[in-house]
Amino acid sequence: MVSLLLILVVSLFFSGIIIRTKSILSGRKGPGIFQPMLDILRLWRKGSVVSKTTSFIFQIAPTAYFSSVIMAVLMIPHGTYPGIISFEGDFIMFAYILAFGKFLMIISALDTGSSFEGMGASREALFSMLVEPAFFILLGSFALFTGQNSFHDIFSTLHYGSQISYLLGGLASFVLVMIAMIENSRMPLDDPKTHLELTMIHEVMILDNSGFDLGVIMYTTNLKFAMYGALISNFFIGMLPFEISVPLFFAIQIGFATAVGIIESFMARFRMGHNPQFVFILTSVSLLIFFGVLLVLGKFA
Amino acid sequence: MGTLQEVLGLMALVLGLGITGLILISERYRPFLALLIVLTNTILSSIPSFQALAGGQQVGLFNIPHFAGELSIRIDSLSAWFILIINFTSITGVIYGSGYLKAYSHLKVNRELHWIFYSVFHASMLWVCMFEHGLGFLIAWELMSLSSLMLVIFDFQNKSTLKAGINYMVQMHLSVALLSLGFIWLYVRTGSFNFEALGHLPMDDSSIWVFIILFAGFAIKAGFIPFHTWLPHAHPAAPSHISGVMSGVIVKLGIYGIFRIVMHLQHDWLLFGEIILILSMLTSIYGIANSAMKSDFKQMLAYCTIENIGIIGIGIGIGLMGIGNNNNSMAILGFGGALLHTLNHSLFKSLLFFGAGSIYQQCHTRNIEHLGGLIKKMPLTAIMFLIGSMAIGGVPPFNGFVSEFIIYNGLFKGLLGVQGITQSILIILAITGLAIVGGMSLITFTKTFGVIFLGSPRKEFYHEPEETSFIMLLPQYLIVAVMFSVALAPGFFFTNATKVVTGSFPVQLSNPSFSMTTVIDNLTNIGVVSLIFISLLISLYGIRWLLVRNRNAALYETWGCGYVAPIKKTQYTGQSFTRSFGLLFSFLVREKKSAEKIPKRMIYPAPYSLSTSYIDLLERYLVLPIAKRLTFMLNYFQFIQNGQIQSYVLYGIFFIILIFLGTAFNLIH
Repeated sequence: MVSLLLILVVSLFFSGIIIRTKSILSGRKGPGIFQPMLDILRLWRKGSVVSKTTSFIFQIAPTAYFSSVIMAVLMIPHGTYPGIISFEGDFIMFAYILAFGKFLMIISALDTGSSFEGMGASREALFSMLVEPAFFILLGSFALFTGQNSFHDIFSTLHYGSQISYLLGGLASFVLVMIAMIENSRMPLDDPKTHLELTMIHEVMILDNSGFDLGVIMYTTNLKFAMYGALISNFFIGMLPFEISVPLFFAIQIGFATAVGIIESFMARFRMGHNPQFVFILTSVSLLIFFGVLLVLGKFA
Repeated sequence: MGTLQEVLGLMALVLGLGITGLILISERYRPFLALLIVLTNTILSSIPSFQALAGGQQVGLFNIPHFAGELSIRIDSLSAWFILIINFTSITGVIYGSGYLKAYSHLKVNRELHWIFYSVFHASMLWVCMFEHGLGFLIAWELMSLSSLMLVIFDFQNKSTLKAGINYMVQMHLSVALLSLGFIWLYVRTGSFNFEALGHLPMDDSSIWVFIILFAGFAIKAGFIPFHTWLPHAHPAAPSHISGVMSGVIVKLGIYGIFRIVMHLQHDWLLFGEIILILSMLTSIYGIANSAMKSDFKQMLAYCTIENIGIIGIGIGIGLMGIGNNNNSMAILGFGGALLHTLNHSLFKSLLFFGAGSIYQQCHTRNIEHLGGLIKKMPLTAIMFLIGSMAIGGVPPFNGFVSEFIIYNGLFKGLLGVQGITQSILIILAITGLAIVGGMSLITFTKTFGVIFLGSPRKEFYHEPEETSFIMLLPQYLIVAVMFSVALAPGFFFTNATKVVTGSFPVQLSNPSFSMTTVIDNLTNIGVVSLIFISLLISLYGIRWLLVRNRNAALYETWGCGYVAPIKKTQYTGQSFTRSFGLLFSFLVREKKSAEKIPKRMIYPAPYSLSTSYIDLLERYLVLPIAKRLTFMLNYFQFIQNGQIQSYVLYGIFFIILIFLGTAFNLIH
């Protein structure tokens, strides 16, 4: 319950912070941090334009995408407070329930029969496939490290004994930040700033969505960012008491959003053909974490 | 209900009478009679199966006088599990088939033979699960292979169908040859043909080879690489309900065989488990990568079957490693997951094949690039196909997730429990493999569903496609109902799968390291979460509907990014959807382009064609060269088959004399 409320709060201003960071770094004043949410609220009040080619898939996909992310958010713990849904192996369901939303978004892009949206759909499917192993190896390593099998048990028993385990925590945060960037199709992979048709993955998939549905999709993106931020914060919260953990949570989320803003200000988008290599790096970093865990546990003996 | 031998005798009697009836009655009633035969045999075999699952193993001796003597038969929990799967899929198959074959009313002989062989096929599959004695098992196995061959070549007037059928027959007999070899070896070592004797093999190096030979025999049937090459040819050739039943059940009998032999394994669990785990991982990745690239949707489904066999194999491998490590939870979750995935796959794969059959019947093409927009013409088929696609991709709230979750759970349990670096790395690789396979099946099925059903039609058809008849949709509804019951009440199904595991393998539920209640709680949680998810989805969609219902939603063309005259041909195609995937995995799937050469001095543009296809690397570079060498060698024996009746009679006499001389000189006892 705690983490759900915290994530919902953060999702209101997460992309605002990213935009604010970017505007400050480029020497502009920029909008307030709640502006993106206000835009979404306006979209929620609008009518829509629907393509004649589409079917009911196009209508249900945004809602399904949103509810899949909500279900995933329900599984995220906050330190010693478990998520609303918590059981052994919940992170497996976490990954697969997100896949449900992705599945529907991909086919809803194909539903429009457009010559652009299929391209985004194809890339979304490819990159989410490539990112999956990194997530599972990461969770597998930490399951092995703590001897536990669920989000809550892993994070509540996680404590760093030696220097090498701090390294593991740092690497894990790096992997999760990058997973979040890939899942949301942000900067090194795709540039959401460019005009809609020129972006390559997520934005091109939702070209035909408008009005309420577009608002839902945009809010879901924010929610997804906040969700990954909460996951990262769990690597540091551990067994800290509530008074410290909540400010720490916000600090980490804001830090995460600022980092995204900085990355997007100073990096150029990769060539599409180089993206799979980049995504594979994450898998190898996760494998590094796994071997680190084996080292810490003395399994190499 | 009588003893088991009476059941078997009754089944044979029903089959015999039924076939006579099928020959005699008129064309119209044949599907009903076939359904009646299948139903009767279902009831006859299901009753002892339920008893066996409840804990009472059924054993008996079946007497075939003057021929084989007394053959021992049994239905234990393992047989019962597979018998129930066979029965359900066969019934849905016969219902669907009765609708599907209506379109082939001009092929009278084909249809008559078809129903006869269908009932033989169903009964022989049940017998495969019932025979404990190797000889009886082989007879039933052969009967099953031959009757399914006859079902595959339904359209035998078509040359390519016949070719696929011959390919199937040759590979199945390779399997039979290996199995016979295994059983003979077993008989020589132990003096018994029974499966049970596998457990009494002396502990030495050569006894593991009996297992390996039998495993290879069953692996051909199951479709492990590199023995998978019959699947992508046989499935597209067969009528769809047969593909559904074949992929749903026949292939699973290979899995049954593997379960049957590994349950008698007495040592080397770890070695065998690791071999199966590695082979299965490769199988599933190879299968799904090929599946993603195929534009023939039935071939795509065939490769996807190979992938799922790999997932089942991962479960078996984990189970064996669990026994080897003395880790009960790993063993139960591994084997239980494998059994549940067997059930799940038989459900959604037959559903998908039935859907594919309906599409084929309406559009007469198996190439997805010619389709599109079918969701408007065939909405019910589309929904069923969507459910099947999502279930096979393993996303909740569908049943495919449940079994994959159990296998994952077994893997994570193993990761925490095993000793030694090799096993740890192997298990993390298996987890990675499963995750990649999940992602790849997302690509495969979004592509297939999206290209077939969504967008605009890519080709005009002479006959406008329309929704299929109720009789063809009914089995799909039945399957979806069972799928949701697995998804929402996984605890019940897993408890029964666990009974099979504890009945077959040396594992105990009472072991302190394993708590059945936590697993069941977990599975109940999954069911509850799935239910919450479904209700959340429905209620959120309800809210959305309430909010937007009074707003104006303008209908317009798809946004062409400023281009105002888009044509349907510019839609994204299936091949372009997976092209970047194909380039990335070009070591598994090789693109083959064939293009006409453009003449140098061509003044006016003329039609020009380019076609790309993806080749099965293992088939091309491993199986075909071996087959070529064999045919080359066998050409020297071609003189034997010269087509003259006289020489065939001569061969007969020659062998009779040979046997006579052999007995006369005491060479044959």
